Formats: sequence, C-alpha cells, structure tokens
Amino acid sequence: MRAYLSVFRLRRRLETQYRGAALGGIICQVFFGLILIALYRALYAGKPQALPFPHVATYVWLQQAFFRMLLASDADLMDKIRTGGIACDLCRPVNLYGFYYARILAQKLMGSLLRGVPMLVFAALLPEGWGIAPPASLPALLLSLAALALGLGCVSALENITMAFTMRTLDFRGMQAMLNLLMMVLSGNILPLTLFPDSWQPVITALPYAQLLDAPIRLYTGEYALSRAGGILLIQAAWTAALILLGLAMWHKNQRRMIIQGG
Amino acid sequence: MDTIRLYLRSMAMLMKSQLQYPASFLMQTLAQLVMEGGELMAVILLIDRFDRLNQWMPGDLYFCFGLMSVSFYLTECFGRGITGNFPSMVRTGQLDTLLLRPRGVLTQVLCSAVDPRRIACIAVGTVSLVMGSRMAPVLWTPVKALLLAESVFCAFWLILGLFLIEAVLCIHSVRSVEVANALTYGGRSACQYPIDTYPRPLRVLFTVVAPFALVMHVPASHILGKPLFQWPLWTAFLAPLSGIALFGVMYLVFRRAMRFYRSAGS
Repeated sequence: MRAYLSVFRLRRRLETQYRGAALGGIICQVFFGLILIALYRALYAGKPQALPFPHVATYVWLQQAFFRMLLASDADLMDKIRTGGIACDLCRPVNLYGFYYARILAQKLMGSLLRGVPMLVFAALLPEGWGIAPPASLPALLLSLAALALGLGCVSALENITMAFTMRTLDFRGMQAMLNLLMMVLSGNILPLTLFPDSWQPVITALPYAQLLDAPIRLYTGEYALSRAGGILLIQAAWTAALILLGLAMWHKNQRRMIIQGG
Repeated sequence: MDTIRLYLRSMAMLMKSQLQYPASFLMQTLAQLVMEGGELMAVILLIDRFDRLNQWMPGDLYFCFGLMSVSFYLTECFGRGITGNFPSMVRTGQLDTLLLRPRGVLTQVLCSAVDPRRIACIAVGTVSLVMGSRMAPVLWTPVKALLLAESVFCAFWLILGLFLIEAVLCIHSVRSVEVANALTYGGRSACQYPIDTYPRPLRVLFTVVAPFALVMHVPASHILGKPLFQWPLWTAFLAPLSGIALFGVMYLVFRRAMRFYRSAGS
C-alpha cells in the first residue's frame, strides 16, 4: 500500500507543476461555460421547463470545473506501450494495475482541483441565473463531495479499461476517441443529463458514466432527495468495484500474452 | 499555377501515406463519425425538449449546425498543417528547413499535412444540412445555392485565419498556446446556433472580432427566408467577404511574425 501511496504523491506533485497551462485551460472552460449558459437561457426563455434554470447553470459550471477529471489520460503509459518501455514496469515489485491506478487517480484529482477551484470561485461571483447556485443544504454538499470521491475512483477505473484496450491494439487513437466520446455524452458534459428526454432518465442515470459527475451534481442541487442519497452512493460504489475488477482481469490477461514492442 | 500543382502533388502523396494502414485509418474515421454524430445528437435532444430557439424552427437549427460543421471540418482537413503540425515544427526547429526552400512558408506548411479522416465529420454536417433544408423547407434557387457556396468558402478562410492566431503566438513563445483556440473552438460551439441567441458581448465578439455571424448566419438566414436584422439581400453576399479579409490581415501578421522567428532547434 505504501508503494501506491508514494506513486500517488509523486504524480500529484508533477501535476501541480504546469500552472501556466492550467490558467489557459481555466480561461477556455469559463468561456465555454458562458456560451452554454447563454444558449440554455435562450432556450428556456422560449419554453420553460419543470427543472428550475439555476439548476441547469449549476450543472454546467460543475461539469466545466471538473472537466479535467473526465479527459486526462496517462501519456507516459501510452508511450511505454508503444515503445516497449513497459517492460521496465513489469519488473517492479508492485501490481501493475495498482501502480497505474494510483497515477491516474492523482493526475485526475490534482488536474481538476487546480482548475476547478478557481473556476467555481469565479462562477460563484456571477449574477444569479448565470453563476453557480449554493448547494441545496449542508448535508447535500457533504454527500455530493463523497459522491464526487466515488466518481473519481470510478472514472480512474474506466480509464484503466481504456488502457487495457490500448495494450491489445497498440493503435489507441480510434478506440480511445470512441470511449472518450461515450464518456463525454453519457456523463453530461456535452448536454446536461437532466435535459435528456425524461423517458431515458432511468437508463442513463444507472450507467457507470452517470456516476462520475452527474450523481454528485444532482445531490448538490438537491434534485436527488437526501433520503435517496444512500442508494445513490451504493450504486456508485458498486460500479466502481465492478469496473476495478473488470480492469484487473483485463490487465492480467493482457500481461500474460503481452508482446513487448521495440528492441 | 505552379503552387497549385505543387499543392495537389503533396496532397496525393499524403493521402497515399495515410492509406498505408487501412485498418487504423478506418477505425479513426469511424471514431470521427461517432464524435460528430454525438454533437448532432445533442442538438436533436435539445430540439426534442425545447421545440425551437427564438424564431428558429428545428429545420433552421439543423441547417445552421450543418453549415458550421461542414465549414469547420473542411478547414481542419486541409488546414491540418497549421492546426496540427506548426507548433511542433517551431518547437523542434524543423521550420528552419522550410525557410531555405524557394516557396512561401505558409504554402509549405499547408502542403505538409492533410487530415482525410475529417471526411466523416463533413459527411455528418452534410446530412444535417440536407435534413435542415428539407424540414425548413428551403426552396432552392441559383441565388441561394451561390450564397451557400460563398458562405462555406469564406468560412474556410475565416477559420484558417483564426487558427493562424495560434501559429503567430507560437512563433513568439515557442510553446503552443491553446488559449488562442478558445476563439476557434468557442466560435464553433457558439455559432452552431444563430447569433441572436446570445447576449450583446458574445454577439459583438462573434460579429466584429471573429465574424462567424457575418460569414455564416447572415447568408444562412437569407437562404432560410428569415433575414437577420432585416438586412437586404446584397448584404448577404457582401458580409461573408469579411472572412477573407480576416485571413488577409492574419496573413500579414503572420509574415511580420516570421521576421522575429528565432530557431529553437540545434
């Protein structure tokens, strides 16, 4: 366990080094957030919905703030797979899956904290109807933070499954692009899941992608009542465990029949 | 003429090299198709819930989405040299070799890459355009067809000009500056929908600074028979030229920036 913790710590430190790039990312995301909210405001003006508008604005800001949690992948690992450098990692006295799980977890956590916190401060300063609304209640805030932690564990497990596919095909671009798109659509980044057709809701909220950010956001805005929170967290934990097990199995199978590139 | 022949020759060679790995090429093209399909699905779902956007009916919205998608990915397909290769050319000092050859730098950069996978995105955009013009419905006349062709053509140069901003910043700072792309990608996301959706500051930004509205929405609104701001027809032919003007300005800026280029290679 200590080995994984130190991997996590090292990676966390590395991720905080590029603050200039983070600032650029923040400006882009804020700009995108404003465009989306302007669009939804115009749509709402034409046909108001049951869902109050501040919830939609809050949804957009939280999605933009934690954008890096969804789309951040381990470029080093991809290079190692392609060049054969992964052979060195196979010699380490740790579980390979755990090693990379700790790395990606640190990368996603720090990447999104570094960008998310300043963005949320900015969004809180915007006038009502444009900015982020306060949480429904204090327990809702705490529960959504817990759900966010579980979502982080879940998205890291998903990332490792993508990597398992990469190991098998070597050409990661096609597969990765498709899995990433699936994630962007079904986690509510392109369009809030709350605005998907009502008849789709039971299905899309049960998928693993909804556990990443959608569930925490709905707990935050109070759309999920506090009484349902226990069940939501349980679903999240179940998906995280299932995806970790699946990833582990895929990595072990890959490791047995892995062909090291390079020479 | 000579330059055009050179360009076609390099395109043919690049295509050939891209098709050397057909499986990988197909997979990536398919990924692009799914990606742009996902964007279109978001529009469909929004229309399903909200029915309309101000005075714009579903057909009008699909038409605008298609126009943006076709123009933007045409630029990404043929402007790949600027959007993809240029930053790494500057960083590695590879740009030096271009300075030695008897052709313009920009010509050579444009000759250096093409991205045929984008054809999938262009196809999705075309489907959306056709769908939109059927639903609206648009009664096609030669004038309207000409307007559409002009709009796509000018939008290509507009977007290429906006991508040049990043190239210019890159020459000065050596690093690739993604912030510059906020205008390009932000413009794509915002101007998939007609410009009058947005509050004044965004409207000014996308009309005066990055004139997506002049290049796309003014002619599109005439094709759809709902002229923006009640402007007369001749403005629809004049407005898109602002895209070419922006490219011209950016080209001069680029030439100036190249004078300050210091090689980073060894």
